[in-house]
Amino acid sequence: MEFTLLWAALSAVVLAWVGLRLWPERVPEHGFDRLLGAAVAGLVVGRLVAMATQGINPLASPGDILIVRGGVHTGAAALAFALVLWWGNRKDPGALDAVAPAVLLGLAGWHGGCLWRGACLGTASDLPWAWALDGSTVTRHPVEIYAALALALGAWSVSRLGWRPFLRAGSALAIASLVRLITEPLRPSLTGGPLAWYLAGAVVGLTLIITRPRLTRDDASDLRP
Amino acid sequence: MLAGCAQGGSEGSALPDLPATTADEFSAHLAELDQPAVVNVWASWCLPCRSEAPLFAQAHGEYGDQIEFIGVDVQDSQAGAKAFLAEFELDFDHFFDSDRQVPNAYGGFGTPITLFFAPGGELVSLHNGVVDERTLALNIDELMRRGS
Repeated sequence: MEFTLLWAALSAVVLAWVGLRLWPERVPEHGFDRLLGAAVAGLVVGRLVAMATQGINPLASPGDILIVRGGVHTGAAALAFALVLWWGNRKDPGALDAVAPAVLLGLAGWHGGCLWRGACLGTASDLPWAWALDGSTVTRHPVEIYAALALALGAWSVSRLGWRPFLRAGSALAIASLVRLITEPLRPSLTGGPLAWYLAGAVVGLTLIITRPRLTRDDASDLRP
Repeated sequence: MLAGCAQGGSEGSALPDLPATTADEFSAHLAELDQPAVVNVWASWCLPCRSEAPLFAQAHGEYGDQIEFIGVDVQDSQAGAKAFLAEFELDFDHFFDSDRQVPNAYGGFGTPITLFFAPGGELVSLHNGVVDERTLALNIDELMRRGS
């Protein structure tokens, strides 16, 4: 039911909030509000694009927008989230680096929210920690738990990085994309998943890490503590 | 009897009426199947059903030769049902269940509902509400592994 998705979303919100409290350095005022606003914008845009690709006219069926389980376009949602977050912090680009670990922890909460949804399992596996659906003997990878743990570790790792411009934001984007890319083969899928979007996210993130500090070398010293 | 009752892609009015069924008839139909079955309970007035319909069209295209896909249209009109099927091109068998006997017999509530059956008609799992791609793919994988 939709309520289980709400619990998963609440897990993401709570862990993002915890992330901002754990790593408060340079987090702007209203940082949590901006994060939440960007997440909602990403969800709405992702849902609208998914509807359009499914041939459903959002103007003719506006109620469908609320049926999030019907599908959210990963790439559009991520782009909208990043753009809204950037726009909200356009006068303080360093804020993106400040909230990056909390974003990863929030994503970990979303994936870990599979426990509320009963949707942690992926492809079949005989590994000792694999478990089965109710009434089944087929044990499976708890793939969403893998993703949640990897993202939480990523959040902690990013929080340990320095303050070069876009180093943390780029790292967070690369880590989130790579975690999804690597775990995707463990998820049963009709479409194979949005691998191209994950790959693009990883490339953009790594490009930010590699190039942005060089482009802003003269400004970088201003951002160091 | 049911073949061709949902050949989409053209005007809904050009489609034949969906065959009516009861819970007993439907159960007997499932018992005759030698393949696993995915049964989607839908209605043309149901907004969430519209949302998940493209997913079933896609799943049928991919697994239709290994799994029987069946639609059960509940509490609907024949005209509404045919327009829905024509719009979403759900090119598999559909039954007309005006008083919800089929979902009530299996314990589902609301609309949509998706039921997963092993060959012979044993209910493996039931999903109330909109089914997402991951859940559908996971349950299809479960059915195919049970059948193999």
